[in-house]
Amino acid sequence: MRKSIYSCIAALVVVSGANADVKVGNPMAMTGPIPDLVAPMALAVDLAEKHINEQGGMFASGEEYVIVRADSMCDPVAGVDAVTKLINVSGVVGIVGPVCSGGTIAQAESVSIPAGVVTLSVSASAPAISNMETGTDLVFRTAASDAYQGVALAELALAKGITDMSVSYANDDYNAGLAAVFAEHYAANGGKIHLNEAHEPNKASYRSEVATLGANTENLALFAYYGSGGITLMRNAMETGAFSTFLGADGMLAQEVIDQLGAENLTNATFTTSTSDESTPGYAAWSALAAAADLNPLGPFVPNSYDAAFMMALAIEKAGSANRDLIAGALRAIGNGSGEVILPGEWAKAKKIIAAGGDINYNGGSGPQDFDANGDVAGDFSASVVKDGVWVGKIIK
Amino acid sequence: MWESFGFEFVNFYFVPGIVLGCIYALGAIGITLTFGILRFANFAHGEVMMTGAYVTWTIMALTGALFGWALHPLIAAIPSVFLMILVFFVVDRFFYKPFRKAPTIKVVMASFGMMLVIRSLVQILWGPNQITFVKGIAKPNSFIRELTGSMDMMILVPNKHFLIMGGTVVIVMLLGYLLTYTRIGKAMRAVSDSPDLALVTGIDVEVVIRATWIVGGACAVAAGVFLATDIQMLETTMGFRMLLPMFAAAILGGIGKPYGAVLGGLVIGLAEELSSYPWIGDAPLLSPGYKSGVAFSIMIVMLIVRPSGIFKGRTF
Amino acid sequence: MDQLIGYFLYFCSLLAVGGIYSLIALGLNVQWGFAGLFNVGIAGFVSIGAYTYALLTTDTSPLHYGGLGLPLAVGIVAAMVASGLISAIIGVICIRLRSDYLAIATIGIAEIIKLVLKNNSEITNGPRGINKIPRLWENFTEERFYNDWPMSWFASAETWQSIFSSLPRWWWQPCFALSIIIAVYVVYRLLEKLRLSPWGRMMTAIRENEPAAHAAGKNVTGRRIEAFILGSMIMGLAGAVLAMHLRLIEPTNTFDPSKLTFLVWVMLIAGGSGNNRGAILGSFLIWVIWSASEIVINVGINVIDDFTNIHVGILSTRAGYLRMLLIGLLLQYILQKYPLGILPESRPTASSKT
Repeated sequence: MRKSIYSCIAALVVVSGANADVKVGNPMAMTGPIPDLVAPMALAVDLAEKHINEQGGMFASGEEYVIVRADSMCDPVAGVDAVTKLINVSGVVGIVGPVCSGGTIAQAESVSIPAGVVTLSVSASAPAISNMETGTDLVFRTAASDAYQGVALAELALAKGITDMSVSYANDDYNAGLAAVFAEHYAANGGKIHLNEAHEPNKASYRSEVATLGANTENLALFAYYGSGGITLMRNAMETGAFSTFLGADGMLAQEVIDQLGAENLTNATFTTSTSDESTPGYAAWSALAAAADLNPLGPFVPNSYDAAFMMALAIEKAGSANRDLIAGALRAIGNGSGEVILPGEWAKAKKIIAAGGDINYNGGSGPQDFDANGDVAGDFSASVVKDGVWVGKIIK
Repeated sequence: MWESFGFEFVNFYFVPGIVLGCIYALGAIGITLTFGILRFANFAHGEVMMTGAYVTWTIMALTGALFGWALHPLIAAIPSVFLMILVFFVVDRFFYKPFRKAPTIKVVMASFGMMLVIRSLVQILWGPNQITFVKGIAKPNSFIRELTGSMDMMILVPNKHFLIMGGTVVIVMLLGYLLTYTRIGKAMRAVSDSPDLALVTGIDVEVVIRATWIVGGACAVAAGVFLATDIQMLETTMGFRMLLPMFAAAILGGIGKPYGAVLGGLVIGLAEELSSYPWIGDAPLLSPGYKSGVAFSIMIVMLIVRPSGIFKGRTF
Repeated sequence: MDQLIGYFLYFCSLLAVGGIYSLIALGLNVQWGFAGLFNVGIAGFVSIGAYTYALLTTDTSPLHYGGLGLPLAVGIVAAMVASGLISAIIGVICIRLRSDYLAIATIGIAEIIKLVLKNNSEITNGPRGINKIPRLWENFTEERFYNDWPMSWFASAETWQSIFSSLPRWWWQPCFALSIIIAVYVVYRLLEKLRLSPWGRMMTAIRENEPAAHAAGKNVTGRRIEAFILGSMIMGLAGAVLAMHLRLIEPTNTFDPSKLTFLVWVMLIAGGSGNNRGAILGSFLIWVIWSASEIVINVGINVIDDFTNIHVGILSTRAGYLRMLLIGLLLQYILQKYPLGILPESRPTASSKT
């Protein structure tokens, strides 16, 4: 009895919000293991919302595009609960995605696919997501699969002339998968891997790990989140002099790393991230918008987040109504590589073309964002090194 | 490459193990005293460690902003100690004291709840992002490096580790003096050994409990600050991650035995680091992924084989 | 109308998750409420059940061992058996420990179980977890189920397909929630029977006065191990249902002790330990508070945003912690004001039928 009263009150409170808005759910891991990575991503989603509403909102009537945020905590239990509420209570048209791969797969399989709601993930990169669906076409992502990034990193290492390495990865869903792809490709192409060990995230000390790993090589491929042990491991590796060269991926790419370790110590550290080709007009448009909003245009998954929120709005506009069933088709229509090119922020232009019945093709800050049959996008990757106290990325050809 | 140093085991396994052990030891002192005197496992102890480090950082940042120079962590830790002791008193008065006569389980649950409350308060106040405690990397002390290097047994220990090890020795010696020679220290030991007998001899248990919180709080803040000095950053779960190894240390040493806790902390710290030493061949003996399991395994084995611990502490 | 269906489906999901927590709390009630065993390793036993179920029932996958694609019922039974077996081993070793010690030991064991699940990637797919776990009712719409017996006995694949496509998309959700509620009811009835049986009375005697029970010739240790195993089996069952509900399980965040172990303890203490009805009530109550509080807190933040000039960005990123803080304070309040829970334990009277 009490619980039903409670949920009724909660429901009523939610209903009392304006009903004419076009609502999109945005489960983000605001708390959980990587809050600091997620915060700028959430700001990018909000930025897209702002741009759309400033330029006329949704549909001919100018309805407001509303992002309903929920906390998915990187945790399947919380993610499933959050998305259940978004879909059933808030009545969102689509989901602009959970952050972690585990949370994304769980919420998609458990809630959003059965409900027929499109999920457009902003950063879930697990290869398992590609072939997750059977018979439906509801899961898309704006971030490239790890399968690509691991390969890109392995090729970067070989191109740099690094022929032997040790691999250390944080034992979590993201880093373990990436390390596996990297190690396989690196070894298959002539690199030698001395040791490939997991480390438990968030330990106070990794000195014994780095000593063991560094016994036979000076080069370390490090897959970790900077916020949960990555910085400590690098610091221990530098203090003991075990490694001189560091390679790694997104999880370590943060200003925090430079602030804590000091730029002078990071001369031989290179981290890749899925990025945008900076020569494209899409990136130019995005970086101007990001700069105006004080966002780092190359922050990990920040452009992807903006693109996802923007594309979801474009798809709804294209579909012509806030009808869940039409979104997947419309998303493919705006992300199939043909039609008038729309750059980040060009909402008014896109709206006009759609109203006139034309085709559009969104080219985002993180890449052209053309979906393949699995709803995946190809990605460009950049290698970042420290220059003048900040990370400077350069695209890997 | 390590063979050239000749002293790989000491530098990369033994000394780090001791440093980690010192931090465990300081935290375990508070746990073992609370366990021995108040008779419950205080799950909120790790959070007090963490909060102490946060407060210390805040004081450093404040002086940095006001006067342009940041206080040394050890000096900034002093007001932090007083604040955390106050926190312990408040928590004890409002959340633990109502259960003094109730079954232990209630107060353990209450401490579990306090763990969540304190941690979420810190997360709300300071935010969940990690904070830089000390910038840069700590190079090995060059004097000792040169000195020992010339004797062919190069020791690579950064200053922060000397600070932690030295600080721990000083604190343990002060504690030893307190427990052996002062009235209140003797009373604490008496209550820990036999509460009923202590009551008969006219010891005021509430005073002893307050003294326990003071000693435990001071050691917890020291442990938290040392931990922050070592990893050079702050994050909100750092206390909780230390909690189970600290329990393990307290049990290993014997409940209610501060020296046992120190020894237990050192053993647990060493065991964790040495478990991944390549004893056989090139690969780590135990995958570092299992590292945190080492402390738990020792703890469980100890609980089963000899629950009174090395120093023959209390069993309940 | 859609909105009403939405509320109904959210209600179903509250029932389903509340039911899962009820099962765990009932299991814990056997251990703590009946036998006084302080188990803080709940997450470990739930994860064993969940993984057993997942490995046995999922379709073959290159990512992890199996899956064996066995019928769901086999998976559920195996989940209970596996959890029971592991707890038997732990029980035989640890059961003599006093409450605090048992708490610390079980919390350590749960961590070790987590490390094992995490590090044996070839079996469990490590931290990436297992997905595509079949969910009761919904699984009937999957090809491999309607093409196979027993479903193929009743109708052809085409017939099944046309039946499913004629149903609304969410048809299985109320069925799933209802099945969980039925499972909770069955477990509840069995435990009530057990509580009033001589075995249950003996448990109470052992819990309240162990030396006396011992002196009366009762096998204290044996009974305790039995209670520990029984409780863990129910937790294993809950783990299987949790795996169904989430459809993906991974070792780190799914079985996070603060959200699983601790929340369940709050539920049991709030509802009333020793009282099976209390365990169920507490589970639903706390879960509804936990789940709905996010909506309420978000609405509150929006109200602040709309009516004041306070910058809410920082508040919204910390709302999740506010929720944890409130749960912690709620526990303190219940512990002090309702030390016996909302529904205190009612002892079977001496004259009642045995």
